[in-house]
Amino acid sequence: MDFELPSDDDPRRVEVRAWFEARPRPSGRQLAEAGYATPHWPRPWGLGADAETQLIIDEEMKRARVTPPALINPVAINNCAQSLLTHGTDAQRERFLMPALAGEEIWCMLFSEPAGGSDLGSLRTTARLEGDHYVVNGQKIWTSLAHKAKVGVLVARTDPASPKHAGLSQFLIDMDTPGLTVRPIIDMSGNENEYNEVFFEDVIVPADRLLGQLGEGWALSMRQLQTERVALSKPGAIWGSGPSARELVAGLDAIGALDDPLVRDEAARIYIEGEILRLLAYRSLSDRMNAKTPGPEGAIRKMLAAPHGQHVVDLAKRVQGPRGLIDGAAAFPTKGERRGMFDDWDYAFWFSPAVTLGVGTQEILKNVVGERMLGLPREYDPSARGPWNQSQGGTAPQGGTAPSPKAASPTEVAS
Amino acid sequence: MNFSLSDEHRLLKDSAKTFLDAEVSLRPLLVPGATVRDAGYADNWAKIGQMGWAGLLIPEEFGGAGLGCIDLIMIVEELGRTLTPSPFLGTLLGTLAVMKGGDAALQTRILPQVAAGEIALALAAAEADGREDGPDRETVAEHEGAGWRISGRKSFVIDAAAAQMLVVAARVGGARLLFLVDSGKPGVAVALETWRDITRQVCTVTLDRAEAEPLGGGDVWPWVRDRALLALAAENTAGIRHVLDVTAAYARERVAFGRPIGAYQAIKHSLADMLGQAEASAAAVLYAAWALAEEDARAPLAAAMAKAYSSDAYVEAAHRSIQIFGAIGFTWEMPNHLYLKRARANAEMFGASREHRDRVIDLARAELAA
Repeated sequence: MDFELPSDDDPRRVEVRAWFEARPRPSGRQLAEAGYATPHWPRPWGLGADAETQLIIDEEMKRARVTPPALINPVAINNCAQSLLTHGTDAQRERFLMPALAGEEIWCMLFSEPAGGSDLGSLRTTARLEGDHYVVNGQKIWTSLAHKAKVGVLVARTDPASPKHAGLSQFLIDMDTPGLTVRPIIDMSGNENEYNEVFFEDVIVPADRLLGQLGEGWALSMRQLQTERVALSKPGAIWGSGPSARELVAGLDAIGALDDPLVRDEAARIYIEGEILRLLAYRSLSDRMNAKTPGPEGAIRKMLAAPHGQHVVDLAKRVQGPRGLIDGAAAFPTKGERRGMFDDWDYAFWFSPAVTLGVGTQEILKNVVGERMLGLPREYDPSARGPWNQSQGGTAPQGGTAPSPKAASPTEVAS
Repeated sequence: MNFSLSDEHRLLKDSAKTFLDAEVSLRPLLVPGATVRDAGYADNWAKIGQMGWAGLLIPEEFGGAGLGCIDLIMIVEELGRTLTPSPFLGTLLGTLAVMKGGDAALQTRILPQVAAGEIALALAAAEADGREDGPDRETVAEHEGAGWRISGRKSFVIDAAAAQMLVVAARVGGARLLFLVDSGKPGVAVALETWRDITRQVCTVTLDRAEAEPLGGGDVWPWVRDRALLALAAENTAGIRHVLDVTAAYARERVAFGRPIGAYQAIKHSLADMLGQAEASAAAVLYAAWALAEEDARAPLAAAMAKAYSSDAYVEAAHRSIQIFGAIGFTWEMPNHLYLKRARANAEMFGASREHRDRVIDLARAELAA
């Protein structure tokens, strides 16, 4: 066992640092062609890098103040594009991968629907084969980046007569196809829209845009949701992209708030959580290096990390008192260069309810942990057996076992 | 970077598990009125001596195994998982003080006896106020002739009644120093406490001009303390995992309203939370063990974090376990309460979590400022 991280004079680090020093403002294309967008992928897209090299590249990119490709095109790089490696056709890889890794074509995931967020298998958007193309009808919601995306990864029902999870397939679609409408959703932070609704009205998708096999949509979707790129992000708000517990302690120290013994104790708890989450992130990295396949333990980490991020911004907000309610109020004096919305404590606080909803609600994650890791009985889903179209009775499905706030009546907007 | 245990570590842990599962039973304690004597405290110690665990950290030149902190937690976790009653912990803490503070002659005299399982030790750090870090208000050491004498009283001393030699923290001027005291000599009296955690022997030690040998300078105590925190945190972590495992097994089998109770989210989510805390504790303990083994600059921070986090998590897990078992889990005849009592005791011994968090902030501030 060895917790030592790669040192400053590690030859791998020296090489990466030299690359960034020679190219102070690299384009997305340059990063992708160097293999730095997805270092763990095989060539020509990546470097076949081990996890430690990946960590080095991440750190050096941060040091060079280059925005990581994974933040520019997260859906492609963190979730979906890898499915093309394993399940795509040569033509699909040729057409989609490089523009995605270069950040030239932003991707979005067309998964959640008004009737199925947590219960994704209940989705109702259909793709019907007509000759050499599919015709898509339905509605998606909570689609991050749909307003910027060129490419959408769609999961739709191709066989309504199969059981709910068996009748789904995935497609790579052009977001500018006629009949497809994107409508922004402004979330409670009031910030520039992150989420969207997407409506499909007789949208034509060529048959060669089917990703993987017909009926393989559920398996692909689950893998895409589960597979995190080796997590290098520090623990903190906004799923690790925002302020961290270390920054919290430094900030509280700067304003003298640590003199209050209650604040001090709570700050210590949060700091300890943050340090432990950092260890857990490194451990998953180390597991990769030891060629262990990532399993449901990713769910544990998110189950711990999401509330942790909320704790970080909550304490920062509370020490502000009423001043914290002023729009944009800075929690701590800023020093050095700002990192945009990712060091905006006020935004991070008002965004924080989302982190226990997105990419698996806290309740769904606890179900996953309890069932997959502790062998507890599965949740009861009366709609999971038998032909999907019969369990639905042709009407809008009633709420599932774990209705989420996501399922609030967007159909009014649609009509 | 490599977070995986080596094959040697895994082997050590597996052999400890096999041995303790075969040799240790808490059954005699599941009778109302039972005390630590009833659970084979002395017999277990004799068996542990044969396994060589008393000499785990002791250098080979003194007959020990010469192993380090990561090896240590392999054994301590198994002892913690099984709540094995024995003077292992007291002896370990005393051994650490002798290893760090004793001069060559003293080490040559004491350590081989410990490694051979011939004597047990104990560490008397706390006083009536429960604080382990001093300032030793009640206990004073004074020069007398060529030697030292200690007078005063130490409280909450683990395994003192079993120990032939005591390591005692005492005030010298304004400083805390550690001394070695032969408990068989005049002026030393040890009284058993009626301690709620009946898997542990806890005592009060009264000293009246007792002969004492000094164990090094002021740097000995913090070094010993950090390793004591690791040992307790390792016990805690294994305890959480054990409590979780038996409670999850129960939730898979116990049926109510036609389904195993683990199917209900109130129970399922509670167990998921416990697993999260078990994993977090395990990571904190492993890191602390590594940092201490390497004498890394972050070792005191890592030890304090591991103790604070794992203590709170253990208390919570042991409490949840009783709740999920229901009323049967509240009876003396079930082992659930033994784990809650151990968790509570460990949370209070060697500094409460809040005190460690106080230190964590100081250490973190220093690190962030650097």
